[in-house]
Amino acid sequence: MKGKKEELLIIVLSALSMVFLIHIGSTIGKKFQLDFTQENLYTLSDGSVSILKKLNAPIKLKFFYSKTAANKGSEGIRGFNNYAQYVEKLLKQYVANSGGNLTLEIIDPRPDTENEENAVAYGLKKFYITQTESYIFGLVAISETGTEKTIEFFDPNKQETVEYDITKMIYTVTDPKKKTIGILSSLPIIKEETSPYMAQMMRMQGKKPEESWIFIKFLREFYNLKEIKPDTAEIKSIDTLLVVHPKNFSEKTRFAIDQFVIGGGNLLLLVDPSATVDRIARQGDSNSSNLKKLMSMWGLELVEGQFAGDKYLSGIGATRPGVPPSRLLPLVTCDQRCTDGLGDSISSGLKQLTLIYPGVLKFIPLAGVKGSPVLTTTDKGNAYSAGPRELMNPAGLWNKFSEGSSKVPMGYKVIGKYKTAFPGGISVEEVVAAKSDKEKPTKHRKILPATAESLVESAVVVIADVDFIHDQFAFKKTMFGVQIANNNSNLVLNALEALSGSKDLIAVRSKGKFNRNFTVIDKIEFESEQKTSSKTGEINGSIRKFQNEINQLGRMAKGGNIALIQSESVRKKRELTKKVASLKRELRSVKRDGREKVENIGKRLQYINTLLVPVMVLLFGFFYNKRRKKLTAAH
Amino acid sequence: MMHHTTKAIIKRELKSYFTTPLGYVFTVIFLFAIGYVTFEPGRGSFFVMRQADLSSFFRYIPWLFIFLIPSTAMRLWAEERKSGTIEFLLTLPVTVPQAVLGKFIAAWIFIALALLGTMPIVFTVAYLGKPDYGVIFLGYFASLLLAGSFLAVGTFFSAITKNQVVSFILSVVFCYIFLMAGSPPILETLSTLFPKYMVSLFEELSILNHFESMGRGVVRLSDLWFFGAMIVGWVYASMSLLDYKKAN
Repeated sequence: MKGKKEELLIIVLSALSMVFLIHIGSTIGKKFQLDFTQENLYTLSDGSVSILKKLNAPIKLKFFYSKTAANKGSEGIRGFNNYAQYVEKLLKQYVANSGGNLTLEIIDPRPDTENEENAVAYGLKKFYITQTESYIFGLVAISETGTEKTIEFFDPNKQETVEYDITKMIYTVTDPKKKTIGILSSLPIIKEETSPYMAQMMRMQGKKPEESWIFIKFLREFYNLKEIKPDTAEIKSIDTLLVVHPKNFSEKTRFAIDQFVIGGGNLLLLVDPSATVDRIARQGDSNSSNLKKLMSMWGLELVEGQFAGDKYLSGIGATRPGVPPSRLLPLVTCDQRCTDGLGDSISSGLKQLTLIYPGVLKFIPLAGVKGSPVLTTTDKGNAYSAGPRELMNPAGLWNKFSEGSSKVPMGYKVIGKYKTAFPGGISVEEVVAAKSDKEKPTKHRKILPATAESLVESAVVVIADVDFIHDQFAFKKTMFGVQIANNNSNLVLNALEALSGSKDLIAVRSKGKFNRNFTVIDKIEFESEQKTSSKTGEINGSIRKFQNEINQLGRMAKGGNIALIQSESVRKKRELTKKVASLKRELRSVKRDGREKVENIGKRLQYINTLLVPVMVLLFGFFYNKRRKKLTAAH
Repeated sequence: MMHHTTKAIIKRELKSYFTTPLGYVFTVIFLFAIGYVTFEPGRGSFFVMRQADLSSFFRYIPWLFIFLIPSTAMRLWAEERKSGTIEFLLTLPVTVPQAVLGKFIAAWIFIALALLGTMPIVFTVAYLGKPDYGVIFLGYFASLLLAGSFLAVGTFFSAITKNQVVSFILSVVFCYIFLMAGSPPILETLSTLFPKYMVSLFEELSILNHFESMGRGVVRLSDLWFFGAMIVGWVYASMSLLDYKKAN
């Protein structure tokens, strides 16, 4: 009896001391961690750390997560727990790096409590998951002066950019002003805002009111916009400059852009080797834009006459009405493969971009300038050149195109200190006002001196396409009004957001979700899809040919030969039905082949993983023991 | 470093896994089951998810280990006690810690070898896409630590009783408690009975939280500490118990 009691004592004491040890370890050991993930998911990037180091006033972070409600909810909601844990771990990293300036409060807001009321008052989103339980998953940052910024809801689909979102929130809570973007373009993208009444009046007079591009209206929601006229010699009073399609810019304008960047200003530049939206150019002028000299000073080059193509990213479209849709090389539809491994907050997480005849960018290394691509083709992409006539023949381009072996950059970001492209300044004409009414104003030339090189770093982001931001490709009209069609406008918005923040914010690496798709399977499916689309094209072609023939027969029909024509039509129809049926059989077989290939790989891998090693173990056991017995018998 | 007696015990024990059917039965069941559930037809199936990671594989490891490891551990001491060989073993110039450590390490090596048998899944994922090898490595490391922890629990319950079935059931129950300690329904029930700090203390004991945390690709000192404390604590308790029994 005594023995049993002592045994029990050993057990209880062991258990208690272990719980105590584990508790101590959990408290102390949470701060120290090693991140093994390729994306460094649990490690803050240098940009975030730098922003945190510069904090000089306390900021309170309130992390609201309805953990209790999630646990009671459906499996889908419980799945959010994993992401909430990730966000919590990341927030703890922020606190650990903030030098004591950040404090984190983790709140589980229960329904009908003060916590829930506060969360809603801060502007966090609340969802009802049952009749009594509500679900909140957001973050509030409050500065010492009472400025509040929120992340209304942590969307698990945006995990790649969550660090950027949190860092931006912390940054903006310390610097809450609305930024001003200067817009300079050779295209009529920005117009004076016309009031709805005036627009109506103009329409009644048969005039079409001139409107800004939709993305400009979209930007107005987030920024103060200031139009910069193309004859400007100095760009000032703006936070960031957006240059769209810089075609035929005067020396003065290029000088103004150069000096803006040299002076530490950040720039988003959209250039295009062939801007289809440049309608003015259709009268014989070139529709390409470039800032060759300036870009070379920033370490970048838009390769002249070259386009970025990728069969694996090619979009499907019809070149002319009535022509069946097919894959088009100039239509580059980007998904996560365009940003795989780039890890840039500007483009990361954008899964639906449509670029039209995008150009090719090159980085030419310069001392003191760091360059990184923000948008590329897949490694099967390649650059191709095409003359104006060839550009109108996508089928020809498709056949001519050869697959490459490395990614082709279509967007680039450079950060650094640059040298001016105008070391001697520029000579400009100056008009001197007349001293009296009798005299005429006089003109004379003067030299505008240039700042030779940057004193502070600035960032330039270049996207080698202009069309992508036009109404036609970035927005769609629905019965509910104009809506965003894809992520094209987000790319511009992300770039401007990063460029109008601090340099550290630009440097915040996105968690850059790597593409972990089954590439082998994707390839099989892509090939099968290509075969399917060519078969579909063949079927549609046969139907069209038949319709033409029928129409022709119809036109030949005259009084006496109607019966003959009808019987000919019936015969042709029978022929076509047979042909289409045979083609459809082939189509089904092509589709089946692709599916079966994938299924067979799955089955083969399943057998290997369930049976191969167990069988090997059994064989080993059999022979090992047989040999052992033999040896034992021999002894 | 390690005492030669301990090494000799490890060698003897390890050999016994390959000369008796038990080792083969364990390995074959484990490898077949993990392969089957990883590819099991369903929403979470590895091939349906089409992601070149091993989350569908590591998700099932704790649930297979919870039965398979106690079945390996149950015979460690219970068998020796039942057949009376424990007296013989402990009269040899072998100390209890040496014997416990030797048996424990041998069993752990055996489980590590069984885990090594799952390598085809790593080759599979490497063939299909571009996996994150850091996360896979950590997943295997976490599985090894999990196995060590369950084995330590199993060793203790094997030492406590002569009956292998009782040892197996007790081990499974305790492993299950440690596995489920952080699960929402249990925490919720506890929160209605105990104060908050007690509940969070209980949550800290969750072996699944630590395992999943490492499975995500990040290893915290607290995770290593937890597994270390589990292994050392239970193995030390086994030693104390057997020492006590020897003395009596």
